[in-house]
Amino acid sequence: MLGRLTGSELLFRVLDELSELAENASEDVFVKNFIVQFENVLNGRPASMATINALRALAEYIFEKGVTGLSEYIKDLKNKYDNALWKSAEVASRRVDNGDVILTNSNSLAVKRFLKTLRDQDKYVELVVPESRPGNEGLLLAEYAESLGYDVRLITDSATRFFMKDVDKVFVGAEAIAANGAVVSKVGTSLVALVAKEARKRVFVIAPTAKFSYETVHGELLKLPEGGLELLVDMEKEALPEGFRARVPLYDVTPAEYIDAIATEFGIVAPQAIPILLRVIYGTYPPKVEPLSNLLRKLREKYSLGDRA
Amino acid sequence: MPSRILQIASGIKDLKIRGAGRIARAAVEALKIATLEYSGPRDLASFRKYLASVAGILLHTRPTAVSLLNAVVFVLKALRGVNTLNEARDSVLRAADEFIANSLNALSRISEIGSKRIKEGSIILTHCHSSAAVGVITRAFKEGRVVKVYSTETRPFMQGRITVSQLLKQGVPVIQIPDSAVRYIMHEVDYVLVGADTVASNGAVVNKIGTSQVALAAKESRVRVYVAAESYKFSPLTLVGELVKIEYRSPEEVTPREWIEKHPKVKVLNPVFDVTPPEYIDVIITEYGVIPPQAAILILIDKLGWTLESIKYSEGIFEDAEKLVELM
Repeated sequence: MLGRLTGSELLFRVLDELSELAENASEDVFVKNFIVQFENVLNGRPASMATINALRALAEYIFEKGVTGLSEYIKDLKNKYDNALWKSAEVASRRVDNGDVILTNSNSLAVKRFLKTLRDQDKYVELVVPESRPGNEGLLLAEYAESLGYDVRLITDSATRFFMKDVDKVFVGAEAIAANGAVVSKVGTSLVALVAKEARKRVFVIAPTAKFSYETVHGELLKLPEGGLELLVDMEKEALPEGFRARVPLYDVTPAEYIDAIATEFGIVAPQAIPILLRVIYGTYPPKVEPLSNLLRKLREKYSLGDRA
Repeated sequence: MPSRILQIASGIKDLKIRGAGRIARAAVEALKIATLEYSGPRDLASFRKYLASVAGILLHTRPTAVSLLNAVVFVLKALRGVNTLNEARDSVLRAADEFIANSLNALSRISEIGSKRIKEGSIILTHCHSSAAVGVITRAFKEGRVVKVYSTETRPFMQGRITVSQLLKQGVPVIQIPDSAVRYIMHEVDYVLVGADTVASNGAVVNKIGTSQVALAAKESRVRVYVAAESYKFSPLTLVGELVKIEYRSPEEVTPREWIEKHPKVKVLNPVFDVTPPEYIDVIITEYGVIPPQAAILILIDKLGWTLESIKYSEGIFEDAEKLVELM
């Protein structure tokens, strides 16, 4: 279930569920469920930083104040993220000229809002959209772009370099931004960025600062989950030879040097300058964050839950 | 004209005879039959004219098939420097046999040569399906130097599944990956090995769509890129500036028709090939040996029998095969 949602969709889904639970369940039941939810996300979507950061904020809140006022706090978190996403999209939209041919990858909510913003500004762009295996999210994005009235070219992932010469700019979303400015996004994005650099096309990432991975500041590597064979093969329709094996990465890392800028809610920044932006926002760097495992342990202790909630 | 020649010609035209190697050998077979069964006037000039007309028929069957053109030229060059009809016939038959033998032998020669370029403990990535590439990998594996192969699924037609099946049959450990994961996986890879549809005279390689970005990702990671290609895939036409035409196939190979009909503003584009520039290719492995891609012209002139005159003329070749014979 978690697998198919984009990073932002996952955040909204998780916050909505927790908000409902906060209103209806007892404190103990809520915290138990909260910890389960948190661990599910850490295991299933370890690179989806917007959600992990929101869960971290919630855990800190619960540890300090319990669940009093929690559902308001969740709504507030959600609104803040929602606004930041719109704002980032708007910032990105300023880098677009009327008539640009834009290539994107996958079906990022940030990119969808960016396209919507362009439409509202009466900017017309043409889109080149790779189908984005595994998952074929490109088809969903093509449908959305068409519904806004844009012309779309849908291509196979392999045809990205073939069509890059026709493209003016590349815009993509992100799952996470690492301390060095590298960006985790749908698998294939790093290849798209490499191909764009080769063709001297600009690459923009649309991502609110909530996607920053604080753990990477302290040396942790982002974990990139891989999926199963069924993402590539329709097991009911296709007979595979004996011994058939596949590796199905879901995300990849685009190095900072392939990204011209990240469009955040605070404006356009070079990927390598994200730490400077955070320093300005929080007044200190590195930001003080408690390791997630500590946080979960403290919660368990406070609510007398065993190692397994 | 012997009916078997016309049979071969229509077989090539109707795609009953397919694949670069098979087409080339069939055309040579036709020229051989024409020579063996020649019953026209007993002078060299008439024979040359007759052979030219057969060549013309063959060349017209598939004007874009490079292997066909190369095969015909290889045989026609046997007319160079002969003085009598008998000499001409013997020379043509020898050339025809040589071409067929070379061609049948090409894949195993390529495996033999190519496998030597694979070091011990190697991980190889291959894109699409190429008999030449599978041959090299299999041989290197049997000699104990390949530990793993990554094969891209190769949308939309999934030729990667053929590669996986063939390698599994040979016992090679192979793992399928989506085309989008090529850069993700590249840091594990030691060699990229692909086939070719056509090699241009500057060493650019026309191959299955996606090859050029695989090569780019390999260069970025300092992974060597090998192209395995039989000599008859080298295109002389590109030397006179002609571009290799990239065919677009049906969008329905990419998405179902119902989806396409529902989305009139979405154009589904399905180019079949792309062009990998020579600077992304370390070597091309041919049956004659390993060459840097930039030396492609060496194969065209030295091995396939093209002369600078005939290449210059080759633009109009399909209209006037007789002229081609004169140049030989």
